[in-house]
Amino acid sequence: MRAVVTAGLGALIVISGGAARAQDAAPTQPVVHAMLFGDASYLVTDRKIPAGFQLGQVVGHLIVSFTDRLNYFGEFTATAQPTGYAFEVERSILRYDFDDAFKISVGRYHTPIGYWNTAFHHGTWLQTTVSRPEMIKFGSQLIPTHFVGAFAEGNIGLQDLGLQYMLGVGNGRGSTISRAGDAGDVNGSRALAASLSARPVALFGMKMGIGYYRDRISAASGVTADEGISSAYVAWQREQPEFIAEYVHLAHSPAAGGSTTGSDAYYAQLAYRLNGSARAWKPYVRAERTTVSPTDVIFAPLNLGYEGGIGGVRYDFTSFAALKAEYRRERFQTDNWSNGAYVQASFTVPDLGGGGDHSEAQP
Amino acid sequence: MRIATTAATRGTLWKQVALVCAIILCLPLHVARSQSSSRQAIAIVVNPKSTVTDISFTELRRIFLGEQQFWPDRSKITLLVRAPVAHEREVVLDEIYRMDEDQFRQYWIGKMFRAEVAGGPKIVYSSDMAINLVGVIPGSITFVLASEATPNARVLRIDGKLPSDPGYPLK
Repeated sequence: MRAVVTAGLGALIVISGGAARAQDAAPTQPVVHAMLFGDASYLVTDRKIPAGFQLGQVVGHLIVSFTDRLNYFGEFTATAQPTGYAFEVERSILRYDFDDAFKISVGRYHTPIGYWNTAFHHGTWLQTTVSRPEMIKFGSQLIPTHFVGAFAEGNIGLQDLGLQYMLGVGNGRGSTISRAGDAGDVNGSRALAASLSARPVALFGMKMGIGYYRDRISAASGVTADEGISSAYVAWQREQPEFIAEYVHLAHSPAAGGSTTGSDAYYAQLAYRLNGSARAWKPYVRAERTTVSPTDVIFAPLNLGYEGGIGGVRYDFTSFAALKAEYRRERFQTDNWSNGAYVQASFTVPDLGGGGDHSEAQP
Repeated sequence: MRIATTAATRGTLWKQVALVCAIILCLPLHVARSQSSSRQAIAIVVNPKSTVTDISFTELRRIFLGEQQFWPDRSKITLLVRAPVAHEREVVLDEIYRMDEDQFRQYWIGKMFRAEVAGGPKIVYSSDMAINLVGVIPGSITFVLASEATPNARVLRIDGKLPSDPGYPLK
């Protein structure tokens, strides 16, 4: 009997050992990717702003795959300020992918309003031009560029249309309206964000989308208003030509009563990658305009009106670095027309692990 | 002395002529091989345990673009792509991605930047490596010259066509 028990225990140890080894063989180690973006510019302008050399944002990306369905996406920036560097957690997203139709995540995002805000944002090297459109500039008060909350997203059947949805709930703007409510909702009224995009098969390279965002703003000024943002965009992502156009309508209804006001912002950008030996060159132009209602209780005191145009050329001197030269003529709401010229070098390090933008396959 | 020199010169000359003839004779073979390589169809292969046997070109493009990351049975797709300069990669970039190498790199950097994917395609350096890995990685998909496909991997029909069929899209 004792022999049987001993044999049984021995068999159990062998079996459990084998099971442990089998578990060890599973991909239990997280897979980590890291990327870096950076830029430096030289500015000459007749506006009364600091000119000369400017170090842009240094942007670090950390992507961790815990399993083939659970991933973490982090984006961290260091931005030059007059008194030092400001460090910021731009995005911090933990996402579980059930399948293509349903992925759920929580964290801090780029709000899915329009195209540029999610397509390029802190990736200066990714965007053709030196800087973002004014409506989504760094520290934008016009559009809530960041969103703290949770999202469900995925593909919607109809492969020929390439439809994708995003539905999110979050804190909305903070009392400083350029910031997301990172530490909690300032007024207990959750923001909602929804977007629908399409990449039609018949128009390979085309992406178009619409979005709606709703929140109640409680600004530091003491004004409270309901905000509704409608957006639409179309982007032809091939480079011959490249075309991006966005339109955003922002409505504010004062909580204290009064009429709803509307403000509008839009831009259109056209670029073209040259052929043959000139392929490294990509000239571009952009026109943009922001019109704020003079009776808008949130925006009117901030003087966000803007119109301007830019023209420039991008030169990709390697696969991962570019030089851009840009002339801009613009007018801010309280200023006269001004002229400026930028030269910018931007780069990416696609994988700090040394594997380029891909990694070597492992069985 | 003169005769000896002439004979040596003649011997060298014959060697050179023979070398040139050999090169000329081999050239058509090389060209034929290059042409046959450039004409060979590219087979899309998947893990042999996959339940997928036929795929539309639209679905194939969405998989290679990372827009579809799961198979219909909800298993995760692992995309294996040949390293640059392979003929198969050129065909796939031309026909499926419609991108050059720089655009291809920028495309995947952008996908990772936007948090649409957690990583780019996995790189393989030979057809043998591609077929061996697709045989052991569940849910994997890759491409090889049709003549190099082996029973270790299942060749997919694209819009109902095998690589040997007329109208196959990856030729």
